[in-house]
Amino acid sequence: MKKTNKVYWKGLEQLTNDVEFVKNADKEFGTMLPEEESEPPSRRDFLKMMGFGIAAASLAACEAPVRKAIPYVKKPTTVDPSIPNYYATTYHVGNEYNALVIKTREGRPIKAEGNSFATFQGCSTTTQSEASILSLYDEERLRGPQIDQKKADWSDVDKQVSDALASASKVTLVSYSVFSPATASAIAELGNKYPSLEHVMYDPISAQGELEANKETFGKRALASYDFSKAKTMVSIGSDFIGAHHSHATNNNQFVQTRKLGNGKKDMSRLYVFESNMTLTGANADYRVRIKPSEEAAYVANLYNMVAGKLGGGRVNAPKVADTKHLQKAAKELLTNKGASIVVAGSNDRNVQILTNALNNLLGNYGTTIDINKHVNLRKGDDAQMNQFVDNLKNKSAGAVIFYNCNPVYDHPRGEEIATAISGLKVSISTADRPDETASLVKYNAPDHHYLESWNDFEPVAGVFSFSQPTISNLFDTRQAQESFLRWSGNLTMSFYDYLQSLWGSHPKVANFPNFQSFFDNLLYEGVFMDETVEADALAFNYDVSSLSFTGAAAKGLEITIVESAALGAGFQGNNPWLHEMSDPITKACWDNYITVSAEWADANGIKLGYMKSRIANLTVNGNTVEIPIVVQPGQAEGTIGLALGYGRTKAGKVGNNIGVSGYPFVKYAKGANHFSTDGVSVEVTEKEYRIAQTQTAETYAGRSFVIQESILKEYQKDEYAGRHQLKITDASGNKLSPNAVTLWQGHSYNNHHWGMAIDLNSCTGCGACTVACQVENNIPVVGKKEILNGRSMNWLRIDRYYSYDETRITEDTGFLDVGKIKEEAAANPEVVFQPMMCQQCNNAPCETVCPVAATTHSSEGLNQMTYNRCIGTRYCANNCPYKVRRFNWFKFHDNKQFAMNTSMNNDLGKMVLNPDVTVRARGVMEKCSFCVQRIQSGKLRAKKENRRPVDGDIISACASACPTDAMVFGDMNDPNSKISKLLKIKKEEKRVEAEEPRAFHALEELRVMPNVWYMTKIRNKDEESKKEAHA
Amino acid sequence: MVVESAVREPLITGGKSVHDVTEDISRRVEQKPAPTWLLAMAVSLGLLAVGSYSVGTLLWEGIGVWGNNNTIGWAWDITNFVWWVGIGHAGTLISAVLLLFRQRWRMSINRASEAMTIFAVICAAMFPVLHMGRPWLGAFWALPLPNTYGSLWVNFNSPLLWDVFAISTYFSVSLVFWYIGLIPDFATIRDRATNKISAAIYGALSFGWVGAARDWSRYETVSLVLAGLATPLVLSVHTIVSFDFATSVIPGWHTTIFPPYFVAGAIFSGFAMVLTLLIVTRKVYKLEDYITLQHLEMMNIVIIVTGSIVGIAYITEFFIASYSGVEAEQYAFINRAFGPYNWAYWSMMTCNVISPQLFWFKKIRTSIASTFIISIIVNIGMWFERFVIIVTSLHRDFLPGSWSMFEPTIHDMGTYLFTFGLFFTLFFLFAKFFPVINMAEVKSIVKATGEKVTAKEVQVETAEKVEN
Amino acid sequence: MESNKNFVLGVYEDEDVLLKAIKEVRGAGVKIDEVYSPFPVHGIEDVLGYKRSRLSIVAFMFGVLGTSLALTMQIGMLGIDWPMIIGGKDFIAIPDFVPVTFELTVLLASFGMVGTFMVISNLKPWAKPRIYDIRITDDKHVMAVDLAKNDLSEDQIKGIIDGSGASEVNNKEFE
Repeated sequence: MKKTNKVYWKGLEQLTNDVEFVKNADKEFGTMLPEEESEPPSRRDFLKMMGFGIAAASLAACEAPVRKAIPYVKKPTTVDPSIPNYYATTYHVGNEYNALVIKTREGRPIKAEGNSFATFQGCSTTTQSEASILSLYDEERLRGPQIDQKKADWSDVDKQVSDALASASKVTLVSYSVFSPATASAIAELGNKYPSLEHVMYDPISAQGELEANKETFGKRALASYDFSKAKTMVSIGSDFIGAHHSHATNNNQFVQTRKLGNGKKDMSRLYVFESNMTLTGANADYRVRIKPSEEAAYVANLYNMVAGKLGGGRVNAPKVADTKHLQKAAKELLTNKGASIVVAGSNDRNVQILTNALNNLLGNYGTTIDINKHVNLRKGDDAQMNQFVDNLKNKSAGAVIFYNCNPVYDHPRGEEIATAISGLKVSISTADRPDETASLVKYNAPDHHYLESWNDFEPVAGVFSFSQPTISNLFDTRQAQESFLRWSGNLTMSFYDYLQSLWGSHPKVANFPNFQSFFDNLLYEGVFMDETVEADALAFNYDVSSLSFTGAAAKGLEITIVESAALGAGFQGNNPWLHEMSDPITKACWDNYITVSAEWADANGIKLGYMKSRIANLTVNGNTVEIPIVVQPGQAEGTIGLALGYGRTKAGKVGNNIGVSGYPFVKYAKGANHFSTDGVSVEVTEKEYRIAQTQTAETYAGRSFVIQESILKEYQKDEYAGRHQLKITDASGNKLSPNAVTLWQGHSYNNHHWGMAIDLNSCTGCGACTVACQVENNIPVVGKKEILNGRSMNWLRIDRYYSYDETRITEDTGFLDVGKIKEEAAANPEVVFQPMMCQQCNNAPCETVCPVAATTHSSEGLNQMTYNRCIGTRYCANNCPYKVRRFNWFKFHDNKQFAMNTSMNNDLGKMVLNPDVTVRARGVMEKCSFCVQRIQSGKLRAKKENRRPVDGDIISACASACPTDAMVFGDMNDPNSKISKLLKIKKEEKRVEAEEPRAFHALEELRVMPNVWYMTKIRNKDEESKKEAHA
Repeated sequence: MVVESAVREPLITGGKSVHDVTEDISRRVEQKPAPTWLLAMAVSLGLLAVGSYSVGTLLWEGIGVWGNNNTIGWAWDITNFVWWVGIGHAGTLISAVLLLFRQRWRMSINRASEAMTIFAVICAAMFPVLHMGRPWLGAFWALPLPNTYGSLWVNFNSPLLWDVFAISTYFSVSLVFWYIGLIPDFATIRDRATNKISAAIYGALSFGWVGAARDWSRYETVSLVLAGLATPLVLSVHTIVSFDFATSVIPGWHTTIFPPYFVAGAIFSGFAMVLTLLIVTRKVYKLEDYITLQHLEMMNIVIIVTGSIVGIAYITEFFIASYSGVEAEQYAFINRAFGPYNWAYWSMMTCNVISPQLFWFKKIRTSIASTFIISIIVNIGMWFERFVIIVTSLHRDFLPGSWSMFEPTIHDMGTYLFTFGLFFTLFFLFAKFFPVINMAEVKSIVKATGEKVTAKEVQVETAEKVEN
Repeated sequence: MESNKNFVLGVYEDEDVLLKAIKEVRGAGVKIDEVYSPFPVHGIEDVLGYKRSRLSIVAFMFGVLGTSLALTMQIGMLGIDWPMIIGGKDFIAIPDFVPVTFELTVLLASFGMVGTFMVISNLKPWAKPRIYDIRITDDKHVMAVDLAKNDLSEDQIKGIIDGSGASEVNNKEFE
């Protein structure tokens, strides 16, 4: 190619080689800027100066608030400000487990979501895992290792601990159930170094009975895994498998799969519950029978005999029971649904569980609804072993003790003895994250990471693995416990991360991947891993029940049943205000625990309690007495009282200390197991007044069919509109119309999106995960007991719990006013219905009309919007809201010492949990559910970037995504293919939306506020309406 | 000039001459403050101080210092607001409506009652501001002002905004009406003034009034037209206040009967308050000859009438509720009468419906003591009426799940006291420095009683009627 | 008007006498400058031959102005400038605009009228009124006759007034 050498002139000067040009040719700017020859400052200069001076001074005078924001000097490539990153990990606090995906913003974990790969647990979160994010930012956590409760550094700790362990005669490692293979082998490493090491596993709420029974009957001490989704008939005798259970998320999901109706499906499972406390399981039962805990054995035995009678199995001798009617009914149906039924018992009595196994075996449920070979690892604890340990501890034969993330001083029945014994120990080590009841007594504190800072793997169910990966680098100078074990085991210096990888390195599946890293990355990406290479054992039932005998009639006196609290579980996260603020699904009380007593008992003792009022009772259980308030609980079995665990922490932290009393001391150890129910209880109610903070005080919905619409399956099968309260109004020309049809206005059409939600009352088990999810997602302040007492809970989403009233009390000659009273009082053994209630996003919103400053208006997508910074707080909108879902900022809840318990807004660490996409509301403004508008926006933006319309599932509200039972369905009603459109059979008309699904209804339809939230009728699988049955 | 049939007993007794009128009324303004007055003043200032503490706390801490909650967003705040507005109805009503109806007995009481109106409205206006979560913004954001955020207007669909316009209009028009009436009397005091300062002050206040026939004729027209405008205004104010409830969806609020029923109630309580104040004033200021028993009786009759209207309204509500067939509506009223707040309902009933019926007895109607007592009872009852409407309707509405109870705090009471302090402080200042009776008007009827009508006067009468 | 300095004042005790007197005095061809009374004397404008005040028309005009202003404001703000969906109502929801419209009508009507009255009657705090006789605002009616505007002599006028039942007849001079 011919080389051209064109010369481009900078100008004529270059062409003519102008002298000036040549002189400056190398300079970028031809000529310098003219120098200003200095002259004495003129008057104008002076004025300029003065003007600037004044301006500067006045600017300096108005002090700008100091904002702590640290910009990225070098931005991590993976982190984009305002763009969330998601990491699959696993919730593991105490012995609770949940596979999660964690949402992080600017490197801060701010929200837990269910892991969509974790099908084995319904892909959902739990109340506790939702709230656990805040525990990460808990100021009360240990900032680093300690020796003798004084700050130390790891090198010293390691050295001293290693020496101490070496010199110790015996090493005991106490922990809750360990179901992490890597952790197990890390402990094993320690065992190799110190052969004397004994690993004691216990669980605050143990499954001893079930474990021992399985050992007896199947020869393996492991829990069977249930599949409720396959069951047509379920019988629970004292087992709260929906509410308080190691796999309640899974159970919820499976159970509700059998309760869904519509689109042709017209049958559902039936659940019989025989229990003493009103539990979530009882609340969801079709038939609930109130029994005393001491009767459980007898009921199981009788049920067994009834079934065995038909199927020719060995009988057991069983005492008579009060209610055979339901038992027979249940037995009959169990037989008709052989192989498609489940019987579960809650008792920790080995024999009761053995008989339950035998019963399930007779019914051929093993292999269908129950899988003993695919066992659940979540509970392994051995009460007997633990009990032995406490004895050893007392007679100083336990040697050096390591408390691995467990807190027996609080959550073991013999806690006090342990406490005193620990002080006598030469070497005691705790890995707890805070100086809790146990850790505050030990010599060495080697605080573990929070699970969100940790690496780990888990095997909740045989062959099912899930993984933990750090979602944030450790906030404090903590170290993962497993790593500590490796250190102390001496020879190993690798990090636990490497250790974990080395363990998985040998996995056969690695072969299917280009290299190990891609295999491991894949594990972490999906978070869970179904490993079919793990071969299941082949266990068979082998036991002769005839040896068992259940003599001994029901105990006479008052009996107590101690249960896991719905909010706090066993009390592992005792310092988490979100859990304390969550009101109990049944009693609706929060920030407290109490004993639940039956209405009969209250009447018998002449106790009348007013609005949120209670009285202190002296509760005495085998010898020790505590003062505790009482709550009258409809459905509580006569002669029994209930008590929740998880309260009464003394060293949990500022938020959780000394709230309620601990129930653990009342747990009775007998026959090699801890028993969570016992007799020999006395309750003596004092005159001392007490106030219980409740978010709901009404018992029933007073027969208001415009609030709740329910029916029974029998009716539903006849008519899909069963239970529907179909209001018709007559117009001037006498036509009967739906209330929606008549209006003064032209109305508006929502053409782009029209967001809506469907809530299936049949699917909602009332667990409350959605309420916590909402609190986390939307920066909802915690207001504490005092304000709840003032009726000022800030929850945007509440679950209204309604009991049925006793229709039999209403007769022809009942007075008009008495009918009203009866309708407001719960029946002795009521049916329960849960109604999640949040802003209904009315298209004709009464709140919008009355706001004087138009701070709340309707969006073009059907959202009822709240403009916080325009709100002047007249509260007129809240008054005019027929659903009373608007929440007012009565005080400044953030940066306010009066609300220290609201840790997510009152200390710098806690504030890291706040969702940056949601405003923290100022004092004096109104707030309410926004349908998670921030999620809608980001979903739309994501779709827009990908240059497409948002498809169904892109956008899910926090509550819907947390729901373990898919009771809440959120979506775009304009999209004919969306789940909600299909579910509700949405019919779009020009200016209004109609749902053609027979079960779908609006709460308060006659007001014609045209909500975008639909409810679906509650259908119970009963043969007769409760009234008729009561008569029968 | 006006005609009295000979049979009617005179409105002004004691054979007062026009000059006596000037003397009797002006003397109060010119004398040194009486010890009784000083005492009364001290008490009201005390109340004001105590109340201010609560108001301060309220503004500093937030609405949370009151007892209101999520379910019961309004309680004492709006109860007090409506109560004061109600009281603030009598004054303008007396001067406007009675003027239109040529009820000359109004003349000796309208000045004081108009003053009361204005002060009551000031007290009422405190609450819409104080009850806001963010009054420092709400105070002006509620007005349709152009602003830096661009187009950010107010919501004219909101009854609260209607209130803003209604109350401010009512207040300013009443103020003007009252002041127009005061001008000639200020002139009187100006001309009697003995020292320079008061001469200057009352001179300014009198706007240079000289009483020229031309001005008087305009003055008459103005007051007549103002009366014509103020009458529908008076009725509109409480109608619009009642819209706050009537246009809502809450059972117990959503009631078309509210406008007339509220207006009647307002007149009822307003007259009661006027009575309470005048009975004291006439005693203290020895104005028995101007505010005679006949005046009191007249007002008591108005109280019987309005009280009965209110009573009928209460019963009608129940009937309509049961007739409506709306479950929630029926419950709301059952709950009023037999629910946890039944004590409020029954005290309302006794105070508002039973007690005024006593006035059917002439003996009670014409006894100062009983009038005084009943007038106070009526206003207690009217407070309970608003409490019942607001709190008992809200605390149990549609969804039992959100039902709640209300317990007042000391700051609820403190804020209420504050307005009492304010009211009486203002009223006593008025009673000392302003002529408490409209001298000019009273003078015009001193001679009137028992005169023969002349043809020309009839013309005048009719001419004026045409104007209305 | 020029040189209204010297006045003859007829002081009357009683409004009926006054009314009669006015007719007599005017009948005798005396131009009455103005009559001052402590309270409105009904029918005096007729005997003095004043035209009825047109303030009521002013009020009406201002009222109309108020109505139109109110409607313009509400429709303009919510209907045109920035329409918002509020409670599913139409952007221009006329029924909801009635109360504010009414209030503004009344407000402007009353303020307009009173304002006009103040202006035409020269009522203002800083006004320097001519006080013919301080007893006017107490109990005396005073008939003021401007000598400059009458052809009759002072004595004649005094005579007429005196004859009309005045309790006193005085001279008043302003600088």
